[in-house]
Amino acid sequence: MRADEATLARLMMMSQKGDKQAYATLLSECQRWLSRYYSRRIAPAQLDDLVQETLMALHNKLATWDSSRPFLPWMAAIARYRWVDHLRRLYRADECELVTDFAGQDDEPAIAARISIDRLLGMLPDPQARAIELVKIEGLSIAEASQATGQSESLVKVNIHRGLKKLAHMVEKA
Amino acid sequence: MTQNSDALIANLVGNLQPVKPISFARGLGYALSAAAISALAVVAAFGIRPDVLAGRFDPVYLIATGLFLVLGIAAAVTVIVMSRPQVGTDHSGWVWAAAMVALLPVAALIVSFGGGSDILSRESIAHGLECLMVGSGASLLVFAILVGWLRKGAPTAPDRAGLLTGIAAGSLGIFAFSLHCADNDIVHIGMWHSGVVLLMAGLGRALVPPLVRW
Repeated sequence: MRADEATLARLMMMSQKGDKQAYATLLSECQRWLSRYYSRRIAPAQLDDLVQETLMALHNKLATWDSSRPFLPWMAAIARYRWVDHLRRLYRADECELVTDFAGQDDEPAIAARISIDRLLGMLPDPQARAIELVKIEGLSIAEASQATGQSESLVKVNIHRGLKKLAHMVEKA
Repeated sequence: MTQNSDALIANLVGNLQPVKPISFARGLGYALSAAAISALAVVAAFGIRPDVLAGRFDPVYLIATGLFLVLGIAAAVTVIVMSRPQVGTDHSGWVWAAAMVALLPVAALIVSFGGGSDILSRESIAHGLECLMVGSGASLLVFAILVGWLRKGAPTAPDRAGLLTGIAAGSLGIFAFSLHCADNDIVHIGMWHSGVVLLMAGLGRALVPPLVRW
């Protein structure tokens, strides 16, 4: 059974007061939610790492959630921030060897779609979003992405750089 | 990362301590208190403008000082809101206040090109530098408080948070020093008082992001 917004918010309120049982349930639910959230937006081999990084960020920033506000948009903001940070680290490390076979299923409810990563990517101009998807998410080389998009190789690189910079500024936009 | 998620969750649960949610009202209270302390320190150290003391207000002074105060509060509010992440939150309200304050240097340029003020005289520059330095000094407490608040929070745009920290601190700092500076010349205010905001915004943009990344 998947926990809904109200359940997660209640668990979070109890967790902020130090209830360890509620916190264990909350983190398990968050782990499942994050795995779905990131699916198809990160190489499968890196999914666990990113989910765990995000769980640690949630733990370190527990005090930044206010019980008068919804829980999922708070968690989504943290998840998006960690995702963009992850892509930027890949960019800096120039690790483009990601696999292309993604399973994942698109079964998020309509409300969750508003806080999804797809929506964040959708706010980028098409050439930038396409370059990031092909190289940073699907793992194509710059040359392959250049062929697939019709952009020159240097333009692909520029679009990735500019796109990641923009994403970093749009994490909280819905 | 080597451990599996279950082990990580068990570890995090074991480390759980009760936390007090950071509140918007408390953050704003700290920022405004810091601004008030800075203003009182300026008044105590340098004295208050004689016309303000006598209850007479120059219109240019009132408008310019009011604009700095509004920009300072708008930017500080944005910084405090940014410390609590939330998809769907808009952080752009401060831009309008900044656009209004930007009219001050524009007006200063227009007036100075028309020969309405001697901006290059030794006295003018010395007085301007005094405003720039003391105004920046009066910004530091607000700057420190906002950086501390951001470090407790979780800003998802550290670059912008740094810029806004500087804008808020600079605006409230020059507002504080405006209680002393008796110059009503739009050229002086537009150049030197706005310069404090620009200087602190640059410092905030350069220094704050590495301090508040998480």
